[in-house]
Amino acid sequence: MAALDHRIFGAYRTDPVLGFNKIILQGRAKNPEIRAVSQYGGVVSALIIYALETGEIESAVLVKSTDGVNPKPAIVRKRDEVLECARSKYLACPTVSMVLEAVKHERGNVGFVGTPCQVLALRKMQISELKPEANKIKLIVGLFCTWALQASAEKCIRDKVGKEKVLKLDVPPPPANTLIIQTERKRLEVPLDELRRFIMPSCNVCFDMTNEFADISVGTVEGGDDWNTIITRTSIGEKILQTAIAEGVLEAKTLREDKLKHLYEAALMRKRRVLMEMPHEKTAYLLLNDEYKSKILMEKA
Amino acid sequence: MSLFDLVEPGRKVLLMGNEAIARGALEAGVNFCTGYPGNPTSEVVEALAKAARKFDIYVEWSVNEIVALEAAGAAAAAGLRALTAMKNLGADVCSDFLMTVNLSGTRGGFVLVTGDDPSAHSTTTELDTRNYARFADIPLLEPSTAQEAKDMTKFAFELSEELGLICMVRTVTRLSHARGVVTLGPVSKERHTATFSSQDLWTSGSSSITCMFHSILHEKMKRVQAKFEESEFNRYTGNENAEFIIITAGTGWLYSLEAVKLLGLEGDVGILKLGTTWPLPEKLVLKHLKHAKEVLFVEEIDAFLEQNVKMLAAELLAEENVGPLKFYGKKSGHVRGEFGAGTGEIDVDIVIRALAEIKGLNYQPREREYSEKALAAVGSLVPARTMGFCAGCPHRASFLAIKKALQWDGRDGIVTGDIGCYSLGLLPTGFSVAKTLHCMGAGIGTANGFGKLALFGLDKPIIAISGDSTFYHACIPALINAKWHNANILYIILDNNTTAMTGHQPHPGTGSDALGTPIPKIPIEDICRGIGVETRIVDPFDLRDAVQNVYEMLKMDGVKVLIFRHECPLTETKKREKKPKVYVDQDKCIGEECGCARFCTRVFKCPGSIWDPAKGKAKIDDAVCVGCGLCADLCPAKAIIVEEET
Repeated sequence: MAALDHRIFGAYRTDPVLGFNKIILQGRAKNPEIRAVSQYGGVVSALIIYALETGEIESAVLVKSTDGVNPKPAIVRKRDEVLECARSKYLACPTVSMVLEAVKHERGNVGFVGTPCQVLALRKMQISELKPEANKIKLIVGLFCTWALQASAEKCIRDKVGKEKVLKLDVPPPPANTLIIQTERKRLEVPLDELRRFIMPSCNVCFDMTNEFADISVGTVEGGDDWNTIITRTSIGEKILQTAIAEGVLEAKTLREDKLKHLYEAALMRKRRVLMEMPHEKTAYLLLNDEYKSKILMEKA
Repeated sequence: MSLFDLVEPGRKVLLMGNEAIARGALEAGVNFCTGYPGNPTSEVVEALAKAARKFDIYVEWSVNEIVALEAAGAAAAAGLRALTAMKNLGADVCSDFLMTVNLSGTRGGFVLVTGDDPSAHSTTTELDTRNYARFADIPLLEPSTAQEAKDMTKFAFELSEELGLICMVRTVTRLSHARGVVTLGPVSKERHTATFSSQDLWTSGSSSITCMFHSILHEKMKRVQAKFEESEFNRYTGNENAEFIIITAGTGWLYSLEAVKLLGLEGDVGILKLGTTWPLPEKLVLKHLKHAKEVLFVEEIDAFLEQNVKMLAAELLAEENVGPLKFYGKKSGHVRGEFGAGTGEIDVDIVIRALAEIKGLNYQPREREYSEKALAAVGSLVPARTMGFCAGCPHRASFLAIKKALQWDGRDGIVTGDIGCYSLGLLPTGFSVAKTLHCMGAGIGTANGFGKLALFGLDKPIIAISGDSTFYHACIPALINAKWHNANILYIILDNNTTAMTGHQPHPGTGSDALGTPIPKIPIEDICRGIGVETRIVDPFDLRDAVQNVYEMLKMDGVKVLIFRHECPLTETKKREKKPKVYVDQDKCIGEECGCARFCTRVFKCPGSIWDPAKGKAKIDDAVCVGCGLCADLCPAKAIIVEEET
């Protein structure tokens, strides 16, 4: 992990919990139309649209869902196509395979939105000399993530809501412990405990909640439905945030101290749980040194 | 061998503070350097200019400090590492841009070096530029030694680049111009490429966007603060539980160390030396406030640390186990210079006196009557004199011409002065002709007001003075304003073809740049005539012509420009191999009986003319005389002879 930090950011992390980061803010899309179709503040959609429209990237790999449950990776080039991909998908999606298509066949720079594990894969590709085409990926927007469900969860959800089109799935931050399913006609709350058996096994050993290797990471603000937390990590992330603000695409403000604390605690607890509850061989892939491990175990929440 | 040929890391060399700053910039891989000359920072840009070709650096003397900062800012926004150096008043000039580029940010490392001049050795103010760091909310580093000057400059680039925020390094005359041992680091070989594409946007925004950038600035500064808490540039020495601590920065640290040692207080007094003074490393300061009962602040000029620490202490009173604390420093009056607290340079004696007064010690560094005795011992060896123009200086001739013309005119005209060698126009060397002096451009600027006061009863001719470099730096908008509003001003530009006062740097009219590359001149007269102002050019050494022109132009309405053009003898004499021989014909000089009242040595006072008290006659000091021959024109007995070189 230290080696990745150094290769991507040119420095080692000073923040053991949230990873290498430059600025943490809360923000949202200025355009209410984008916000209306987005999960929370619409920052991800707004950033991707902005990057496409300014030519920073010419295409982006996102995730689309025609029925609201089942995700499919998609290459998008236009604003409307981005908006069709808005909102969180809770089922795992093989987006990285589509990235490979994009870097091979798309003209120009490619953007990507994905979960921490997907971003990690892309970063490793970028670092590897075997995948020079991965350097066409010029903007990585990372989503905060705690887990994703296996495809078999679809049946469980469909059993609850029938064939109706699902408009929005949402797992509100704790203490709520439910998946909210919003369809055109109804709103259902499914206890998460019913879904836990569908969680991808690899999610249990995941150490990264805030997408630590993205250019810019975006997630919820606890208790603030129409805002996103934004973490910039690279100069690319910093630049796009700054220019998007200057062009009136995003609005941003200081993340309140208590919200930041919650975020920090959640990310720390995630890491601590993985270290404490998982057998050593399951976390060996992280190649963490003892100093870092003890930092996580000793760090004050 | 110059310091820039030394590439071996680890080698110890003696460097001036300013050279150390330049070396730090080289070690950081600086690409782009700008500045405007002024004490005490001129040598930073000069040193980098010497290194420019070897290390592929772009170096320029800019026309003024705001253009310098803007140009460097653009280089930094394009991803290069850029440095701008200026004196304290320069920070005022560039502050407009500083107060916006703090919000728009930077991609490459962007460092502003400001040089303060406590005691105003060669400045018209004791401005403390640290306030600009607090004002603009940007990181501030204060080196104490030449080594730190180098190391902090290098670190400033790294910090700036990491945070995307301009970073300030503040030096003072005593550090900039003193030499110290510096261990060299490697010169960066990293190559930077400038990029700025149509997707880039570099702005501080307006309305809500500015507020958002302001909020981002605050976030950045929180990070700076966290870094500063751990910085190796801050250190505490002495008893870990000392109840009496000194909090100090910059040169104050060295004075504090020495004072504590001389008073034998090492066991009792702890010294917290801060190198990162804005934002304040609050946790570090708190740690030491907790064991302290009394705190003495030792710092140059303003009570900057003092106020910031007091504010912190006030915030912490309720939450942390801090205090009660007694504070000593500028507010209490314990750290005070000759003219009171918060004025003048501090030194070891001032810190000793402060400690002795607080602790009730009786410490006399030397016998009480020392200074009187020293003065008596020096006696007549040191002649009493004020500052004066150099031998052969054209400004002396210019001021004499102005004085005479004003006498002829008889309306008691007002002369407004400006910044340069010719600031001495206020003193006897300039026949006390100039009556105002502030900052660069204020001569013609204030003349805009004086020249419009006839309506209110002040109907006098107004003459504004400035030099050539100052003309380009700050006078053009004021000249345009005067023309626009038809102010009644005669603006006299003393053009000696150099920026003389700061060490003969080039300017747009000299025909070269910082590296000595020939460049077409931008003549002052073209600019003035372009504005539509009547402009004449006269050599002040042609004194009759000079007086006549001033007199005539004073009678004309509206704005007029008179350029007194004569090269500075310090640059001119370097170009020639021989000088004319000037001497006083001892038969013709009739001394006190002449009736001229020793005009050459008492009034005109060129240092080349001296009075021989034994003979009661004038003579020429050949070692000082530059051979200009102006005194020969002025001598009523025609006793001064100029023999042209053969």
